[in-house]
Amino acid sequence: MKYLPLIWSGIWRKRGRAALTALQVLVAFTLFGLLQGMKSGIDDVVNKLGADLFLVQRANGFGPMPLSMYGRMQAVTGVKSVTYQSYLGGTYQKPTQQVFAVACDLDSELVTFPDMTVSKQAIEAMRQTRTGVLVSDSLAHKYDWKIGGRIPLESQTKRQDGSGTWTFDVVGTFTPGDQSLSPDFMLMNYAYFDEARQSDRGTAQQYYIKVDDPRQGLSVARAVDKLFANSSDETRTQSLREAVQTDLQSIGDLDFVIRAVVGAVLFALIFSTTAMMAQSIRERTAEFAVLKTLGFSDSRVFWLVLSEVLSLFIAAAALGLGLACWVLPAARNFTHLNVTMPGSVLLVGLSMAAVLAIVTAMLPAVRAQRLQVVDALSVR
Amino acid sequence: MTSAVSLVGVSKEYKRGGESVAVLNDFNLEIAAQDFVAIMGPSGSGKTTLLNLIGGLDKPTSGQVSVAGERLDTLSNAELAHWRARHVGFIFQFYNLMPTLSAARNVELPLLLTSLSAHERKQKVAVALELVGLTDRAKHKPGELSGGQQQRVAIARALIADPTLLICDEPTGDLDRHTAEEILGLLQMLNRRYAKTVIMVTHDPKAASYAARQLYVDKGQLAEQSSLTSV
Repeated sequence: MKYLPLIWSGIWRKRGRAALTALQVLVAFTLFGLLQGMKSGIDDVVNKLGADLFLVQRANGFGPMPLSMYGRMQAVTGVKSVTYQSYLGGTYQKPTQQVFAVACDLDSELVTFPDMTVSKQAIEAMRQTRTGVLVSDSLAHKYDWKIGGRIPLESQTKRQDGSGTWTFDVVGTFTPGDQSLSPDFMLMNYAYFDEARQSDRGTAQQYYIKVDDPRQGLSVARAVDKLFANSSDETRTQSLREAVQTDLQSIGDLDFVIRAVVGAVLFALIFSTTAMMAQSIRERTAEFAVLKTLGFSDSRVFWLVLSEVLSLFIAAAALGLGLACWVLPAARNFTHLNVTMPGSVLLVGLSMAAVLAIVTAMLPAVRAQRLQVVDALSVR
Repeated sequence: MTSAVSLVGVSKEYKRGGESVAVLNDFNLEIAAQDFVAIMGPSGSGKTTLLNLIGGLDKPTSGQVSVAGERLDTLSNAELAHWRARHVGFIFQFYNLMPTLSAARNVELPLLLTSLSAHERKQKVAVALELVGLTDRAKHKPGELSGGQQQRVAIARALIADPTLLICDEPTGDLDRHTAEEILGLLQMLNRRYAKTVIMVTHDPKAASYAARQLYVDKGQLAEQSSLTSV
């Protein structure tokens, strides 16, 4: 601690250069935090998905399936519960205010997704109100929706009267559980939605199956698919975790992109900051010589230089990672996943900053360490 | 009086462009403790090299250098650094202060190598700054001080660890006459009142007259010695 003023004054000897170096590190680690944070956040979301939850979709892709399949799936051995969902996408007051509504049978939904937190009053209110919706906490907060309010949504999904305007009554809020991929959505009564829509009536977009024993999940999935094999509604049943991973892979090799971008940025950072630090140390040759004259040993001067660079890098990286933490929730708009920065990314980021600082400082620090006092002072 | 500095058969050569250049040849010198010695001589005569050897900043090519009872020519670089921190204070022509540190922080630098607490260091810094008359400039940075004030800060820094030996390389070379006399008076006071051994290189006979003894170095040899009744 006693060397802190000396280290601090060394860092800010040339304010412009120090600020520029800090800015480079800050930007690099903000980017690292955002990309790695998003990746780890997505992994985190995926890992939280229960192994006992399975998604049933059309074998040939995304499309409606008859509601009559519901009872047949329930009868499959090993199935604990089944629920079905259809979806309504729409916009609230502006085209940018996109809202996602899930049409479901609330009772089977709550059995299949038991980690969802919703009050009994809200459940009862949904049962009593056909046009009622339960809004997730964050969505309600986002648009300042209150219980008792009416929400008009403009959608491409037409009502029977040909209109695209859907109006709902907010009857309660809920907190999505770990099984929910998105934090921002609302639940509506399937019965109301199905009755009111113009097309695809009597169908569900997806079924979710909860199995009794996750170890038997694969055989249950096969049994479901076998049940509908060679019919016009062939199914593909896979664990929710697997389904989400497949969806994400369809975007591209996220791991490779992140590694490539972060690697390139950090590599460029090493070059630019090493040059800056080397110049800074060269300019302070006489000052290091004076320190050595006063009795600072070669190794102490080495550690001083290293400490300067470490302090600068770690402080700037911490700011950058902090900024990424702050910005990361905005990634929800792109991923629709509840992404938050895991603590491990912060730790890895700070460790990387330390390693980069050591690599950057090594050459200038060794140069300062080897500095001959007599030669350096004679330069003056 | 005991010997503070003893050089016996000291030679120093530098390599310049593949050739050896002898700066000091078989140099012998004794300086008593609490002495105030001025070293004079033409440029390139070996004065600064002599100071560097006495101050433990450089090692002789051959011969023995003993200062404060320690054989410096046998010490490693790390041992020399440790020795300098305890035994010697340096005062340079161009002050060599850290431009981004305040006067107080500059003076404190040698104490960072000790185990003193922050409070103890602060107290010692205050005493040293008071001694050189700069208490009211403690928080000023070197750029905000005059040349004379900067040299006073440098003297306070040289004194702070209470060394027995003060080594001054042209301490008044960058100062006007009046300020130079103030600095020389301060060095003389440190020698007389605080029993510091002062070794000063100077080109200025007036500055040299503040010393108790003058040495003339020429072509790497001790050319002449004279004792004075100082100013």
